[in-house]
This record gives sequence, structure tokens and C-alpha cells, in this order.
Amino acid sequence: MSTQRPTSDRTRRVVVTGVGAISAVGATATATWEGVRDGRTGIRTITRFDPTGFETTFAAEIPDFDPTIVGKKEHRRMDRYTQFATVSARAAVEQSGLDISADPTRVGVVLATAMAGIETFENTVDTLITRGPRRVSPFAVPMVIPNIAPGMVAIDLGAKGPNFAYSSAFAGSANAIGEAARMITDGLVDAMIAGGAEAPITRTGVAGFSAMGALSTRNDDPQHAIRPFDRTRDGCILGEGGAVLVLEDRDHAITRGATILAELVGYGSTADAFHLVALPDDGEGLVRAMRIALEDADLRPEQIGYLNAHGTSTEMNDRVETGAIREVFGEHAPAIPVSSTKASTGHLLGAAGAMEAIITIAAIAEGVVPPTLNHHEPEPGVDLDYVPNVARAAEVTYAMSNSMGFGGHNAVLIFAKSDR
Amino acid sequence: MADTTVDTTPTAPRRVVVTGTGAIASVGNTAADVWDAIRNGRSGIAPITRFDAEGYKTTFAGEVKGFDPVAELGRKEHRRLDRFSQFAIVVAREAIAQSGLDIAADPTRVGVLIGTGMGGMEIFEQGVETVLTQGPRRLTPFFVPMMLPNMASGNVSIDTGAKGPNFATISACASSAHAIGEAARMIQAGLIDAAIAGGTEAPITRLGIAGFNAMDALSTRNDDPVAASRPFDGGRDGFVLAEGAAALVLEDRDHAIARGAEILGELIGYATTDDAYHMVQPGPDGEGLARAMTIALESAGIAPSDVDYINAHGTSTQLNEKNETLAYKTVFGEHAYKVAISSTKSMTGHLLGAAGALEAVITLAALREGVLPPTINQTEPDPECDLDYIPNVAREAEAKIAMSNSMGFGGHNATLILARADVR
Repeated sequence: MSTQRPTSDRTRRVVVTGVGAISAVGATATATWEGVRDGRTGIRTITRFDPTGFETTFAAEIPDFDPTIVGKKEHRRMDRYTQFATVSARAAVEQSGLDISADPTRVGVVLATAMAGIETFENTVDTLITRGPRRVSPFAVPMVIPNIAPGMVAIDLGAKGPNFAYSSAFAGSANAIGEAARMITDGLVDAMIAGGAEAPITRTGVAGFSAMGALSTRNDDPQHAIRPFDRTRDGCILGEGGAVLVLEDRDHAITRGATILAELVGYGSTADAFHLVALPDDGEGLVRAMRIALEDADLRPEQIGYLNAHGTSTEMNDRVETGAIREVFGEHAPAIPVSSTKASTGHLLGAAGAMEAIITIAAIAEGVVPPTLNHHEPEPGVDLDYVPNVARAAEVTYAMSNSMGFGGHNAVLIFAKSDR
Repeated sequence: MADTTVDTTPTAPRRVVVTGTGAIASVGNTAADVWDAIRNGRSGIAPITRFDAEGYKTTFAGEVKGFDPVAELGRKEHRRLDRFSQFAIVVAREAIAQSGLDIAADPTRVGVLIGTGMGGMEIFEQGVETVLTQGPRRLTPFFVPMMLPNMASGNVSIDTGAKGPNFATISACASSAHAIGEAARMIQAGLIDAAIAGGTEAPITRLGIAGFNAMDALSTRNDDPVAASRPFDGGRDGFVLAEGAAALVLEDRDHAIARGAEILGELIGYATTDDAYHMVQPGPDGEGLARAMTIALESAGIAPSDVDYINAHGTSTQLNEKNETLAYKTVFGEHAYKVAISSTKSMTGHLLGAAGALEAVITLAALREGVLPPTINQTEPDPECDLDYIPNVAREAEAKIAMSNSMGFGGHNATLILARADVR
């Protein structure tokens, strides 16, 4: 498989030339970044359905999203998650200035999602049980499936290269970005549209995570509910949105005069092989993923200037992740600003890794590390520099972003300030 | 990404071989049983028993028979696994047992990529029904971790102890072909030494049947299920939904040789493309598939005429076979009329995200045994499908190199090229 062989050309470098996002904090990547940086949260009482009787009644919902912007006819044939993917991908490609039609077979699309078309699935089951199997829509299957987001983005933008979805629960879009980069370094493609999309704020989505005890139940104070690394944290909150990056071969980007936003220099992907949803106490899989990513980037731990944590605001995650960071960074751990931006955006599940990659890139570009909101009470042993409550100016050359998912998936990305 | 985990000294490229296979499908509960049925032209299609299909347009499917999840997985464990994860664990165990791979010796160097089209569809359906009819507080805490499409890969790693890269690739009916191809790329890159790669699917649920029926995608030949899946035949009227799983142990060839493993075949080519054309229809003239085949041939360093056998996507839908046949003519030219082609979906039904892996397992067996499996139910020729589809009866033939094609809703195409172990 010679043309598939990465060792054929190890000199290709992967840069980011465009980002697009939509979240509860902002309708664009820029607005999302400004919201996260300035400590705003997009968390509010659920309006997507009537949450009366649910254990948790709030989420990071996108207000006033007009689905017709993806197309007057088309939006009806897309679940909300694919609508977010489409909007984010268009914005990323627009910023990059990439002319896909110039060489469409050399541009691929890989996106991730955890829950895929859950709203459509729910509506379809409702139809099935109340009105019978023959009333199900012919669009139900294609709207529900997890791969239709990359499929529809390819149609929308005309990208004909490698195309599929990655699924590793909440590490999905970090895997998508890391694997897309390998396709570029392997020379299979010149550019990739990579990221994730999620629209999990449905009855079953909220009920499902509530049943696991994973969601905060601070219903009387949604704005202060998510408290990553804080002693009083009581769970995560669902967020919706999309986040997409244009990754590109560096020479390709330079030749066409593109603005380089950052370089992707490291990626590590591992499995815990431990438990359905629990983490091993020592965070072994995450430790290994961080180390592989550092090796991949040829960096020493102390060169990392900022770490965007997975930080879900659950008891287990934040404790284990802190321990894993300590294990990898040793005596340097307390000196590295670590923040979880999920208190602003909510947990975008399969889109979280890509959203946090975009936030990490903005932090590098602007020289500002975003805060961990609602962080007031430290916990013994969970005691790193979490950039509490207020953003901080910091010169960051290299930054790491961690993602983990149910099933034991870990994915770590390292971005660098562009040297051009 | 300067990949320092890779030995960058200019040595010969790493080659990827298959050292184990496992399968479960409507025609058999092991890879050997599946192959025995396929070479003998036996169909696994029968009336649906998983739910009461009365009132559904289609009332038959390719169900796995005699599967005992309690015996296979344990009384407690099987309840926490949707059927798609159960199948995945069983086939992964079979493949690893055959390979003799000792994962514990170096667990971080073994990855797991199990594709699926639908994920935990049965629990998804049950969970939604619970929420809608009994309220949100009656939902099981296992709902999310049972329905997530990545849980087959996650559960296989938990069961086998494999700690390397782990995720699902999803591209509808091309999912597990992508899993195999991407796992092979990781081995070539030196990121891992071996991978458990494949796919799994358990879509025979009310919503599965009703959803594909609504698209008019399924055969409605309810009076004759065994004759329903007839790829390339003039009388075809849709595919037959099926369940099951298949897994391959892929391994760096030197690694396999060093530990004295039997090599079942070699993966010599892989490519993936997208039509960027339509939500569910294949691109005009099979352009995207033709491009995938061409890139895969290039990656294998072989000419089209080197291919002896093609395991087709062949779903038994009007549009698929017309386009797929055109794609073969585009890529193979005159050789298109000489190469033996068959669709084993005529017997197994369509396993969606597991189809690519199951067909890779079948293709490997065909190369090893020198028997090319048939396309059954060929009675009425279609003038637009005029190639050699190995009608009805298997054929003994010396085959060295074979191709397996997969396509999925969303315009995804994936091509794998396999070679007999002694060819290179």
C-alpha cells in the first residue's frame, strides 16, 4: 500500500487555516472565544422541550438558531446536529479561503458525534409507537446516522476525499482532528475539514445522562452549576453545537498565501481497556495519550504553556485528570495553566474536542488563557492552577487539549503558535 | 507532526497481514461456519423473530440464529451490552484465538477499531420508548453507554485488554471497510503492531425495518425470503436487512512471522473516497467508487488485470448494481468481463456497518481455499448488469488477489485489496 504509507513523506506539516463554530456562548468561532475568554456562560433553562419532571432542567442551548441558513429545503432533511456541522464547516472553509473545487479529491471530511441524530430518532420512535411503522419518514434513517454530517458537508462543499465519522464518545472530534492530520502527513490529501457536531438536548439525551448521575442538578442556579475542579462540583451539563477546523499541509497553505492560525504538532490516542464508563484511578490511558502526543510533537512537558482540560465537573473526571496531569508534568504541573472551558460551553460530547481545539488555538493566537468558571473552593489533591474565574494574559507557544470518552477512549492534541 | 514513535530509518515499508478472523451472521456463528454456508450457496434469510413484524412492509431479515448471550458473555455482563456490542466481543474473541496473539504481552501496541452503522439501536429504541411512555426517571443508567456507537470498540478493548488507539469509524454501510483500512494504516505507520478491526450491527428492530422500508430500500418478497436478496438479477427489489459482526486481527508482517503466526492473507491496498453527490443515492456512473478502486490499485502497486476476484457491494437494489457495474467497466475495461464478481449479500443479507468486514473475512477464505463464492438467486439477467457474477454455484479457481468494495449512504466508498499469503 505504497501511496498510503506515512513513512513516504515525513516532512509534511499540518497547519490550521480556518475554524468555524457555533455554541451556546456564541454563534461563531470568534463569538464563542470571546464568550469563553470573558467568562460568559451559555447555560440556561431548557427550551428545546419541556423539562418539567426531569432531574436536570438546564443545558447549554443555542438560542435563536435559524436552521434555514443551511438551506430552505435542505434544513428539513437534516437533524439539528448536521445543521450545526454544516454551519461550522462553511465558516471554517470560508475563513481558510480554501478553494475546494480546484482539487476536490484532495480534500476530505471527517467529523465526530456521539449521539448523532437523537432528536430525529426520538421523533421517529414516537411516530412508530403511536402511529405505526408505515408512517415513518423516509428521511428518518439518513437523518439519524452518525456519518451523515460528514456526508452532507461533503455535498455542501464539494469535498470528494476520504470521508467518514469518528466515534469515541466524547473524544470523537479530537480523534477526528488527529487522524485527519495523519491523512495529510501521509500525503493522502492536501486538506481536511475535521471536527464534530452534537445536538443532545432532547428528552432522552437529558434523561440518559441524568440516569447515570452525570449531570449537575443545580436547577436553581444554572449559571453557576458547572464547577470544574471545584470541591462542590456535582456533575456536567449537556451542550450543543458544532466545531470544525480546516487542516492543511503547511506548504500547500503557504503556496496559496493562506493565513496560518496554528500548527498541529502532536497527537496521541489510547484506550483504558478498563470499564464501561469509569476511569482507572491512575488515569493510565490519559497519561499515556499525553506522553505519546508530547513524543509525537518532540516536546518536553515543561514546554506546554497551556492545557485545555477535559474537565467535565464530575467528581471522578476532575480528580483523575488532575492526577494524570501531575504524573505527566511532574514538578512542572503547578506551573502550567490548566482550564476547563466546559463551564461556558457545556459538554458538547462528540464535538467537545474540536470546540476546545478552537478555543486552544485562539488562546495561543491572542496570548490569553481562558478561565475555569465557578472555581472557588479547592479540593485537596485537585490543586493545579485552573485559571480560576478570570482569563489571564500569557505567552503560549505550545498548548495541549485533552479529551476522554465513555468506553475508555483518550485523545490528546498539541497545537503550536505558527512560526510564520 | 514529526512522529518520533516511528522508526524513520529508510527500511522496507511495514506490511499488514491477517492472522485471525471471526464472524457471526445469519448463515453461521463462526467464521468457518459462515464460509461453509457461503461456498455452498446457503441463505440465512428467514422470517423475523426479533419482534412481531406483522403490519410491516417487510417481514423477513438475516437474523443470527442460536446465539446465547448469557453463555457467551455471562449473566450479568450481557445485560449491559446492546446486541451490537455482544456480537463484537464474540467475533473479536474468535479472531484473537485464531491468531494466537498475546495481547497482554504488549497491550499498548494493539488497537481496536470496530465500525458500525447504527450503534445500539435496540436499546436506543427501548430507551426512547421508556422516556416517552413512562417518563425520564425510569430510564436505565446503562442507556447511554449501551447505545453509543463507539461502545463496541470500547467493550472489545475492555474484554481483550487492548490499550492502543481505539474508536469506531462510521460511514454507514462502508464503516467496517474503513475500520480495516484505517487500522492497517496505523500498523504501517508503526503506531501499533496489531489491531482488532471489523464491524458489528444489530439493526433488526422495529425502527430499523420501518426506517429502511420507508425509503423503499428493502425487498418486500415476503412470500419467499430466501429468494429476496438477488444482487445483479433483473428481479431484484431491494436489500435484506441483516445482523452480525466480523473481526480481523491485522498485524505487522514481521511481528506475525517473529511469533510464528499463521498468515491468512495480506492487506495490500486500501482507499477511501466520497461522492459528494446525494444523501442516499450513489454518484452518477459510480464515479466515487471507481476512484476508490483506482487509488486502491495504485496503493497496492498492481494493475486492474491482476485482480482475480471481486466481492461486490451488491446490495440487491436497482440503483446500486447498475452503478457498481458501470464503475467496474470504468476501472477494469475489458478485464471487467473476465474478472469473477460476486455479492455474498445474496446469502447473508446486508449487515450495514459490519458488511465490509464480513465480506473481507469471506474474501480471505475464498483466496485460501481457491473457491469463489456465488451470487445466489440469479434467474433473470439484467441487460445493464452483464458481468460474470458467479451465478448460483461456487467456482473452484486459483485466485491470488481479490478486491472487496463497500459503499454507504452519505456517498462514502471504501475499497480493500487482499492477497493470498504466498503471493508476495
